[in-house]
Amino acid sequence: MFLQKGKSLGFILIFVLILLVLIVLPFFVDLFYQTFLTELFVWILFAISFDLIFGYTGLLSFGQALFFGLGSYTVTILMRQFGFNTELSLLLSIVIPMIFAWFVGYFSVKLTGIHFVIITIIFAIIGNIIGDTWTSFTGGSDGLTFSPRPFRLGLFQINLMDIKGNYYFVLGVVAISYLFLRRMVQSPLGKVFISIRENEERAKLIGYNAQRYKLIAFIIAGGLSGLAGGLYSLTLKYAAASYLHWSVSGHAVVYTVVGGMGTLIGPAIGAGIVMSLEHYLINYLQATDLVVGIALVFMVLVAPKGLVGLIQSKLKRKEASV
Amino acid sequence: MSETFGTILKLVDLNKAFGGLLAVNKVNLSVQKGELRALIGPNGAGKTTLLNLITGTLRTSGGQIFFKEKEITHLHSYQISHRGIARTMQITSLFSGLTVFENIWAAVQSRKKFFNPFIQALKWQDVKEKTESMLELTGLKDQAQLICSELSYGEQRILEMGIALSTEPDLLCLDEPTAGLNSQESMVLVKKMRNMLSGQTIILVEHDMGVVMELADNISVLHYGAILAEGPPDEIKENEEVKKVYLGSEHA
Amino acid sequence: MISNLAVAVLNGIVWGLIMALIALGLNMIFGLLHIINMAHGALFMLGAVVAWYLIELTGNFWIALIIAPLCVGIIGLMIERGLIRTIEDKPITTIICTFGVMLAIQHLVLIIFGGSPRRISPPVAYRFQIFDLQYPLMRIMIALISIAMMIGLWIFLRKTKYGLWMRAVVQDREMAVGLGIPVNKVYMWTFVLGSALAAFSGILAAPIISVEFMMGREVLIMAFIIVIVGGMGNLEGSVIAAIMISLIQGIGSLFVAPSIATVFALAFMILVLMFRPQGLFGE
Repeated sequence: MFLQKGKSLGFILIFVLILLVLIVLPFFVDLFYQTFLTELFVWILFAISFDLIFGYTGLLSFGQALFFGLGSYTVTILMRQFGFNTELSLLLSIVIPMIFAWFVGYFSVKLTGIHFVIITIIFAIIGNIIGDTWTSFTGGSDGLTFSPRPFRLGLFQINLMDIKGNYYFVLGVVAISYLFLRRMVQSPLGKVFISIRENEERAKLIGYNAQRYKLIAFIIAGGLSGLAGGLYSLTLKYAAASYLHWSVSGHAVVYTVVGGMGTLIGPAIGAGIVMSLEHYLINYLQATDLVVGIALVFMVLVAPKGLVGLIQSKLKRKEASV
Repeated sequence: MSETFGTILKLVDLNKAFGGLLAVNKVNLSVQKGELRALIGPNGAGKTTLLNLITGTLRTSGGQIFFKEKEITHLHSYQISHRGIARTMQITSLFSGLTVFENIWAAVQSRKKFFNPFIQALKWQDVKEKTESMLELTGLKDQAQLICSELSYGEQRILEMGIALSTEPDLLCLDEPTAGLNSQESMVLVKKMRNMLSGQTIILVEHDMGVVMELADNISVLHYGAILAEGPPDEIKENEEVKKVYLGSEHA
Repeated sequence: MISNLAVAVLNGIVWGLIMALIALGLNMIFGLLHIINMAHGALFMLGAVVAWYLIELTGNFWIALIIAPLCVGIIGLMIERGLIRTIEDKPITTIICTFGVMLAIQHLVLIIFGGSPRRISPPVAYRFQIFDLQYPLMRIMIALISIAMMIGLWIFLRKTKYGLWMRAVVQDREMAVGLGIPVNKVYMWTFVLGSALAAFSGILAAPIISVEFMMGREVLIMAFIIVIVGGMGNLEGSVIAAIMISLIQGIGSLFVAPSIATVFALAFMILVLMFRPQGLFGE
C-alpha cells in the first residue's frame, strides 16, 4: 500500500510539473507553435477517450470520428446559426454525442471482435455521408466557419479569438478531462471495465453485466470525443464533414498503440510523438502516413504494449535485479 | 410443486440440443443444500454442457432450472451469479493480464451494487479486507502481485476457485478442478479445497474417481446426455450398468 | 425509364461481380483463415496501379490483367510471411498491424504514382444498343471475366489437392496437421490467392472508376460487409451478397440520391449484423 501512496505522489508531482511547463511555454514560443500545441491537446483528449474504450474496456471502435464530428458541428452550428454562448455550446458538444453514443452503442456492444469494428465503421460512414450530403446544414466538404464568443464562467472570461487565450482554455479543459479519466480508470467502475477487457466471459460469470458496462464506457468515450471535436472547432473556428470520416478514428488508434494502450499517459505521449513527427516530416516528405503506417507495424511487432509498455518492462527488470 | 426441505437446485426435464444433437436429454436432478454431488460420465456425456446451462452460459432447449425454489431458466449468467451460483471452468479462465490480487478483487467487488467512478477503488476498505482474507484462504498471499500467467498451473486452478468463492456463492460448480494435475498434485488441491470450503453446496464434475469417491455425498452418472444412475458412492461403485459404461474403462 | 432501369440493373450486376471477386479474396483470408486484413482494399488499389504502369509499358490491358495480380500476390506473400506469421493470433493485433500496412501502401503509392486520379482506357470501345441506350461491351466482358474467374476458383477449390487441403485446414486445423497437411504453406498460399484476387478485381474495376491511391478505402469496408452479410467462410454467399448489395445501391440510386441509397444499404447491413451476425447464408 505504501507503493500506491508513492505512485500517487509521483503522479501529482509530474503532472503539476508538466502543467507548469505548458503554462509558461507560450511566452517562449511563437503563435504558430502555440496553435500546433493547442491542436495537440485536442488530439490528446481524443486519444485518451479512445483509450478508455479500447485500452481499458477492450472495444476497438473505428467509429469515434462520428462523435468527434458531432461535437465539432454542435459547437459550430449552435454558435453560428442559433447564437448560443460558448459555455452552453461546449456543454452540448459533450451531451449530444453522448446521446448518439447511447444509440450507436446500444446496438454495437451486442457484437464483438470484427463485427464490432465493422458496425462502428458503418455508423461512422453513415454519419459521414449525411454530413457530406446535407450541405445546407453542414456546409458539406467546404465546411462552416464562425467566430466563437469568449468563454465565461462567473467573473472569469477567456477570449477565444486570441491564440494564447485559446491555448490556455483548451489546455485547462484537456487537463481536467485527463484527471477525470484517470480517476475513473482507477475507480471501481474502471476495474469493471478492465475485467471485461481481460476476460468478458469470466466477468459475466462473476456477476458483471458486461453489456451494460461496455455501453457506459462507450457513452463516456463518445462524450469526451465530442468535447474534443468541440474544442477543435473552437480552435480552428471551423467544422467540416471530413472530421466525420472513419480514418479520423484511425489517428486515435495510432496514437494509442504507439504510446501504449490502457495507460492514459501512453496515448498522450503517442499523440505528442506522432503529431510532432508528422509536423516535422511534412517539411521534407509529402507522405507522413507512410511513416505512421510503418511505425504502427513496427510497434505492433516489437512493442505491442507501446512505448509506455517498453519503459515499464525496462523498469521492472531493474527492480527485479536489485 | 412440493419441494423437499433443503433442495437448493432442481433440474426438470432439462434439454439442450445443438442442431440435431441432443447434448442434454431430459435431465431431472435434485441437489440438497450442503450436499457434494459428483457428476461423472464419459467424455462428451454432457457434463460441461449441463454446468453451462445451470450458470446461464447456454440457453436451454427445454425444461426448467430452479434455484432456491425460484426459476432461473432464462436468466443471464451475470444475474445467476447474483442469485448465488459460482463456477470454475475446465480450462482455466482467469483475468490473464491482471495480478492475483486484482483477480480476487474483481470477484469480491462484483457483489457491490454501485461502482463509483469518482473514488479510488482501493479506498473500499471492506473489499480490500475481503480480498486479503481470500488471498490468505487460497494460500496465494505471497503471489498477490504476480501476474496470474506467472503462476504454476496448480496455483492457477486454486486462484480460479478463489475467484469463484469470492462471489459468496451458495452453489459452487467445479468443472474438473484436477484436470491436468497428476495424482499427487490432485491430492494437494483437494486438501486445499477442503480448507477453503465452508458449507457451500457443490456440484463436482470429475474424471478422477479417487477424488470423487473420497468427496462425494452422492453421484449422478451422465451418459449421452441422460442420467444413467444416481446414488451414494458405494451404490454407484457396484452398479453394473455404470461399470460397463464408464468405471470399467476409466478407473485406473 | 425502362432503359434506365435496364442500365442500372446491368451496372449493378457488373459492379456486383467485381465486388464479389474482392469479397471472395477477403472471404478466403478472413472468412476461412480468420485473419483480418485491413490492407485488402489497398491490395485492390495496388492491382489497378501496377496494371496502369504495365499498360504504360506494354500498351496491352490483357497482359496487365495477368501479370499485375501476380505482382500483388507476391506482396501478399511478403505480408503474410513477414508480418502475419509473427504476430500472435489476437484479432485486434492483426487489425492494427494491417491497418498500418494499409496506411503505408496507400501513401507509398501517393508518393510514386501521385495524388491525381488517372484513367485506364478500356481495351474494347464497342457499345451496343439496349432499348434506346448504348451499353459498353467492356462492362459485359468484365462481368464474363469475373464469372470465369469465379468458376476457375470453384474448380480449384473443389477439384484440386490444394483446395481439399484448404477446406481441411479450415475445418479442423489440428487434424489437418495430423494428416500431414503443410498447414503453414496452406495459410500462406491462401493469403497470396486472396491478395491476387483483390488485385485482379482492382484491374477489372479500373476502366469503370479511375485509378487513384484512395480507391481501396471504401471498397475495403464494402468487402467486409459483403463477407459478413454473405456469411464468413461461405464463398457462394459472398457472391450472392455482393450482387444483391450492388443491385440495391444501383437501383436505389434511380429513385433517391446515390448517397441516400448507400445509407439505406448500410442501415440494412446494421440490421443483418444485429439479427443474423452469421450472415444471411451462414450457419
